[in-house]
Amino acid sequence: MGDGRAIAGGSGGGGSNRPAWLQQYDLVGKIGEGTYGLVFLAKTKLRKSCIAIKKFKQSKDGDGVSPTAIREIMLLREISQENVVKLVNVHINHADMSLYLAFDYADHDLYEIIRYHREKLNQPINQYTVKSLLWQLLNGLNYLHSNWIIHRDLKPSNILVMGEGEEQGVVKIADFGLARIYQAPLKPLSDNGVVVTIWYRAPELLLGGKHYTSAVDMWAVGCIFAELLTLKPLFQGAEVKGTPNPFQADQLDKIFKVLGNPNPEKWPTLSYLPHYQSDQHHIQTVKYESSCLHSYVHLALKSPAYDLLSKMLEYDPQKRITAAQALEHEYFRIDPLPGRNALVPIQPGEKIINYPARPVDTSTDFEGTTSIQPPQPVSAAVAIPGSVAASSVVPPRAVPRPISMLGMQRMPPASMAAFNIASQAGIAGLNPGGIPIQRGAAAQAHPQQLRRKDPGMGMQNTGYPQQKRRF
Amino acid sequence: MAANFWTSSHYKQLVEQDKIDVVHPIDKERGLTLEEFKLIKIHMTNHIWRLAQHVKVRQRVIATAVTYFRRVYTRKSLTEYDPRLVTPTCLYLASKAEESTVQARLLVFYIKKMCSDEKYRCEIKDILEMEMKLLEALDYYLVVFHPYRPLLQLLQDAGMTDLTHISWGLVNDTYKMDLILIHPPYMIALACIYIASVLKDKETTAWFEELRVDMNVVKNIAIEILDFYDFYRVEAFKGMAESFKGISDEKINAALHKLTPKP
Repeated sequence: MGDGRAIAGGSGGGGSNRPAWLQQYDLVGKIGEGTYGLVFLAKTKLRKSCIAIKKFKQSKDGDGVSPTAIREIMLLREISQENVVKLVNVHINHADMSLYLAFDYADHDLYEIIRYHREKLNQPINQYTVKSLLWQLLNGLNYLHSNWIIHRDLKPSNILVMGEGEEQGVVKIADFGLARIYQAPLKPLSDNGVVVTIWYRAPELLLGGKHYTSAVDMWAVGCIFAELLTLKPLFQGAEVKGTPNPFQADQLDKIFKVLGNPNPEKWPTLSYLPHYQSDQHHIQTVKYESSCLHSYVHLALKSPAYDLLSKMLEYDPQKRITAAQALEHEYFRIDPLPGRNALVPIQPGEKIINYPARPVDTSTDFEGTTSIQPPQPVSAAVAIPGSVAASSVVPPRAVPRPISMLGMQRMPPASMAAFNIASQAGIAGLNPGGIPIQRGAAAQAHPQQLRRKDPGMGMQNTGYPQQKRRF
Repeated sequence: MAANFWTSSHYKQLVEQDKIDVVHPIDKERGLTLEEFKLIKIHMTNHIWRLAQHVKVRQRVIATAVTYFRRVYTRKSLTEYDPRLVTPTCLYLASKAEESTVQARLLVFYIKKMCSDEKYRCEIKDILEMEMKLLEALDYYLVVFHPYRPLLQLLQDAGMTDLTHISWGLVNDTYKMDLILIHPPYMIALACIYIASVLKDKETTAWFEELRVDMNVVKNIAIEILDFYDFYRVEAFKGMAESFKGISDEKINAALHKLTPKP
């Protein structure tokens, strides 16, 4: 198959009848998977640019193309904005009725950036980066909302950040599988079932509200803002599983504890929300008097950052700040000003952090089958911009995680012993955090793949330009 | 996008009439005339409409399905894309795009019930295969704007809500033509309001002037609609399916027969 580096051909995993369009890509490996499909990292043969390919499997029960895929395609075909992920191509494989969406690939996402700071660096994200990420997130969201699109599933892993290259440090909102046009829905928006990952779910939804608005996205942005500041989820409630749409008591309690109990004086429509009205769970009983949000996020009550955050976490969705208003907030007008490259602060002396790139499972082909043969020593995987070679490859893992398009959760390092592939594949060793490490013995077995990497394997990445233009 | 027609793919895809009135070379080879091509499209629009009555979907879903159908045949041949399978599939895809999914098995069931002609029948897997081909043929552009919403807003603005019924019916009939591929939906709505106001003897000159739209375009669309009624001897406002006196089943079958590959 072509130059032999094409994975489906090279890894012997049933790729012999690969459709023609796929041959324009070199598969690097799998970067995520979920119930409706797999996500691959590939490179275009022509421009060598990185592409994330999301493969939707045909459902078995005769439902055709999944509504998730249809939604995502129809929205992304219409919209185009710097802070929204770009759908580069759609492909169909008629033979197995699978559908592929190709996106510009982003090396990072907020989930990983936050985790890296929390677990590896043990230091907060610098102010410039927080502000730039937030500004760009709001900028993309403002575009979506002004086009009557609610995202409905904003969470750190869905907020991508571009790695090294022309668009370095640019935020891309991803995963439109739940997004809806809300201007004139033919069916109530609540028909789609419960949306938004529980930690980022707005109180009006948790209280059983049906007529929700773009304000649910702003609540999620508030939660993400707080998480960028403190490196931990603000409202980490335990999810109640069950059917359908169970009452999330713990999540609400977590919110009330920080913000104080909501009341109908401050939030007039509260009384109409089903779970509040019925009060089966005694949420009308005031347990927490007032907000202590500022102490949770370590912000001064008078600071612009706190003011903006508290307006995003306003209980009443009608009073909650909109994306357009938030962009005008004082917080973005004071130093440090937000910039286009969120990852590289321009203040001299600021440390530039070399975030690790997404781990890639190189032993999987486009069919999603893990090869029994050791894969080719995938030089392509090592050449991911901004990646640390040692950390860019992990063996296949046993437990699938839900994917959120390109922003899928990083694949947790599986036990190397489970698949004795890592060393054969020339993987230098597991280091998902991407901290500087000694080259392992396995890596030395394939020195050619490490030679391609820039010498800055650690955090002082000299590859980042020192100056970037601002908005 | 969803809010702004002018930045939508729908707007960017608008074409001239003469780009639509082209019989695909493959169909031409089989002797299909432009007139027959148009007849088949009218007939199949009715087919979508009737099928939609059975599965009970909203007007907008039908309108989106018809728009998909007409778009497909600006690019593909009737020979390669059998309209008898494309029609239910358009309805199927439109129901997903408009967030009110109809199950494929229901469509298969009602087609069997509705059509005595075996050639219209299909299986679930045929629809699912065609769905993917349609996505491709539509170049994955699925968002469609319709005249219905601007119609209601404009009638409200004009204080002529008593014309709602008649102009709504006119808008429905415009889907028998290719207007939705040619003109912005609000212009089609205005043309329908214009016809309705003339029929009902309403004075609208001042209102139309205030809108600052190109009245020549509005009137030309109106004339096209009236010509269409005239040509096909359609009794306007008689409901969709039964109103086409000028189109006999024989003519349709003869046209469709040309497309069937000869053994």
